Amino acid sequence: MSENKQKTWGTSYGEMVWHEFAKSKFTLCWLGFIILLFLLAIFAPFLANDKPFFIKIDGQLHWPLFKAFTASDYSIFLAATVAVIQLLLVFRNRKSVDPSIRSGVLWRQIFISVFVVLVGIIFLYIFIPRRLDATDYKSMVASGKATNAIFAPIPYGYGRTDLKVREQPPNRQHWLGTDDVGSDVLCRLIHGSRISLSVGFVAVGISSIIGIIIGAILGYSGGKTDFLGMRLVEIMMAVPVFFLIITIVAFFPRSLFNIMLIIGLTTWTDDARFVRAEFFKLRRQDFVQAAVSLGLPLRSILFKHMLPNAIAPVLVNATFGIAGAIFIEAALSFLGFGVAPPTPSWGQILSLGVSTTGRFLWWLTLFPGLAIFFTVLAYNLVGETLRDAIDPRLREST
Amino acid sequence: MIPTLLGITIVVFAISRMAPGDPVSLAMGPGGMMDAQRAADVRAARMKLYGLDKPVYVQYVIWLGRVARLDFADSIKHHRPVIDLIKERLPITLTLNLISFVIIYAISIPMGVLSAVGRKKFLDRAGSVMLLMLWSLPSMWVGQMLIGYLCGPPLNWFPPAGLSSNDAGQFPFFHWLADRLWHLVLPVFCLTYAGFAYLTKLVRAGMLENLRADYVRTARAKGLSNWAVTFHHAFRNSIIPVITIMATLLPAMFGGSVIIEEIFSISGMGLLAFEAVTTRDYNVVMGVATIAGVLNLIGLLMADIAYAMADPRISFESAV
Amino acid sequence: MSDNGILLDIKGLCVNFFTENGVAKAVQDVSFSVKKGETFALVGESGCGKSVTALSVMRLIADPPGKIVAGEIIFDGRNLLELSEHRMRSVRGNSIAMIFQEPMTSLNPVYTVGEQIVETIRLHQKKNEVEAWELATEMLRKVGISDPGQRITEYPHQMSGGMRQRVMIAMAISCEPELLIADEPTTALDVTIQAQILDLLDQLQGQSQMSVLLITHNLGIVAERARNVAVMYASRIAELSDCKSLFDKPLHPYTQGLLKSLPRLGFTGKRLYTIPGIVPEPLHFPAGCKFHPRCPIGCNNKRCQTVEPQLRSLDNGRAVACWFAPGYERPDDPK
Repeated sequence: MSENKQKTWGTSYGEMVWHEFAKSKFTLCWLGFIILLFLLAIFAPFLANDKPFFIKIDGQLHWPLFKAFTASDYSIFLAATVAVIQLLLVFRNRKSVDPSIRSGVLWRQIFISVFVVLVGIIFLYIFIPRRLDATDYKSMVASGKATNAIFAPIPYGYGRTDLKVREQPPNRQHWLGTDDVGSDVLCRLIHGSRISLSVGFVAVGISSIIGIIIGAILGYSGGKTDFLGMRLVEIMMAVPVFFLIITIVAFFPRSLFNIMLIIGLTTWTDDARFVRAEFFKLRRQDFVQAAVSLGLPLRSILFKHMLPNAIAPVLVNATFGIAGAIFIEAALSFLGFGVAPPTPSWGQILSLGVSTTGRFLWWLTLFPGLAIFFTVLAYNLVGETLRDAIDPRLREST
Repeated sequence: MIPTLLGITIVVFAISRMAPGDPVSLAMGPGGMMDAQRAADVRAARMKLYGLDKPVYVQYVIWLGRVARLDFADSIKHHRPVIDLIKERLPITLTLNLISFVIIYAISIPMGVLSAVGRKKFLDRAGSVMLLMLWSLPSMWVGQMLIGYLCGPPLNWFPPAGLSSNDAGQFPFFHWLADRLWHLVLPVFCLTYAGFAYLTKLVRAGMLENLRADYVRTARAKGLSNWAVTFHHAFRNSIIPVITIMATLLPAMFGGSVIIEEIFSISGMGLLAFEAVTTRDYNVVMGVATIAGVLNLIGLLMADIAYAMADPRISFESAV
Repeated sequence: MSDNGILLDIKGLCVNFFTENGVAKAVQDVSFSVKKGETFALVGESGCGKSVTALSVMRLIADPPGKIVAGEIIFDGRNLLELSEHRMRSVRGNSIAMIFQEPMTSLNPVYTVGEQIVETIRLHQKKNEVEAWELATEMLRKVGISDPGQRITEYPHQMSGGMRQRVMIAMAISCEPELLIADEPTTALDVTIQAQILDLLDQLQGQSQMSVLLITHNLGIVAERARNVAVMYASRIAELSDCKSLFDKPLHPYTQGLLKSLPRLGFTGKRLYTIPGIVPEPLHFPAGCKFHPRCPIGCNNKRCQTVEPQLRSLDNGRAVACWFAPGYERPDDPK
């Protein structure tokens, strides 16, 4: 009965949820698709780039692809590396860290890693100059000036325009065709995944944080604070969100970060309502009364004691929120309010599907549309299975 | 309600004023044709004309007063009163949305109930995934694909743009109506499918949860037939979230409207808003945003009232 | 109506639940009978199968995943398990009525209590709207609700727990059933209200000769109100007896353990007795006698570990399922 404490740890909440989640092989495939998308986004410059990995010019070995990395490339590498390290740490913790302190360790991990990534990104953007390497390596190879060049599998850059090949349907050189300025569609799709995924995460991160804070304060305080706060939430709900986004995005300088910020600032109402409802329920529970009577500081009660119990609907909503943010970004780009060219965005490619002369360019409609559809579908499926795993009462099948 | 209304107006006003640039500069362009002094004068005169030279809060109060009288000033681009533009375009958007609304509710509710009641395990799961797929389809993609494949040669099943054919003015009434409906099919479809998927899932989930409830067990113990239990008891409870959703469905559809109207070139409020935003036509933007906000608020209010009526546990006071 | 006064006779009832983790045998070989006008108590801990037994009588077991796989339930001369669903519906609420544990969730929140009672009345009796409402009001008065004319228009959420349970009872007796199944009717109520509800049931029983099948885990209630008792453990009946004999001289080790665990006046020891171990899960029942891992006499006995004892009737009208009970061969006797 009294075995070694190490070996009798029961399954944690996270493990239980994962176990439920993993029962659906179908959803696991889509989770795999999401991971694949992430890999595509991270390794995009290695997959589709008009600069070769290395090239010999006049007997000298050059590495143009690696030299041309921008600050955003490095940021993504940094974020990905930190994320992988965190995941490995989490797995290690499961085996060796006592469950009673595990969640505290996890939170500390998350904070440190987010901090490191943010600081790292700021440094990168400050210190890495914007180099533009406009050398036409392909013609150098063709003309014989350079030898032994190894290009990326899709040897086109997303910024490169080549008006000679504009609006070509899929062919041997351009597997998914070209757009109205001659850029390779497949290359732009791959690089576009970076935009979609980053918008999804950052926007949802912002909206979740705002929603949680507001929801927590309203749900905990009740009374006048809650009344006033709910009026604010109602205002946000009544204003037509998409229209608001368009307006703001159109009036302010176009940048990816602005778009992420705007989406985040306008979609927090659902999270706030969920958290507020949960906090209402939790407020009356004994452990909260106990914490209050012990004189614990408010932020400790809210975030250390009550929040972990209220986080479940927020997590589920976050997954759906990512799908929604990706959709909004695509819609904005489609309407012309998204990121400025030449930055690729799936919505922008989609908007080129009907040319100025009225021709229907099917490859500019089908492929980006499929990309958006599958990505949004993947997140929605994962979100729904997650919801069923967290709250079996809401299960839809027996 | 009133404070929320005021809040909407403040938000709308603030957004449009926060933006860099102003309509006068935009309309005037770089102005290489006049000399600098003259350009400055013209600019000052125009600013005065549009009242843009006064401090912000004064502008707000003035604007608010005029809004109360539904005076949104003139469109800077069209040189017509904004309210007229809205009056022309609003019915179109409303018709489009209302038709979609009705279709969604008419189909979703029976589908949702049926799928909850008839339970074959595989069909269950497959149906659920299909609904999710439907919901995940991006509307601009669907719209563009439909136009691309169904509207051009060789199929030519539907018209690609507009609400009526060019010579529709000359048609007799029924012909005109048929022509109108023919034009409406694709846009309404695009607006409908997502809402349909969402609502069917909602009804289905509600029914499943309620069919498991204790009071359903009591109802069966009383000897009620399956039919009575399903419709009189479970359904009546499932309808409550469906009613509350009406509030959020309307604003969402207005947003979707913008995209659909742009794709199908339908001159509704959505397209008006879109064009206004692109050309920095402040007055139109503010007018449309305010009207849309007010309509949404009315929708929210009606949904709250309907909710209070449907669920006896909610009192009217707490709803309004 | 049988001659010997037996209203409900359950024979060899077996109910299985087919889940994705295996087959759970929730009720195995349960047999007992309820006489006309008496209160019969079905006692046991949570998960022993008593509620499932009760629901089986009403044929309210959800299929899937549950299924009544064997047995007979003879009510008033007819086997309820052989009736068509249509005829069964005319029995439910009419000849046999059931009240449940949670009065808040057992009433539909969107209809008034009056509407819900009238629904039952109009379903089984040929009364028009006005008559039905009058009868409903009368029922509310009968269960002790004051100002029934006003109360009948109220919603469940406007009432207290005790009052809701009274409404449930009113709804149940509105068609004058011969048998009332009460599934833990007082567990969710305060102790003082508990007594009132049980007194009410007694009173109604006295007025109409209605039988009551009382499901409970509270031995105190059983002692006060029941004439005959069946003790269930892990899907089987452990002991069947009249109430007085059960408390005077329990025969099954489980019942003995239960009674030993009750705190009594004048108890001066340091610790209350508990039966060691926990109730087994339906998917993982032990072999042999289901109680043997926790039994002070049988845990090491070979026969208890391997062979399931059947419910065996004794001369005095009692029945026990235990190898060590009087009347059985001693387990160490050569077989």
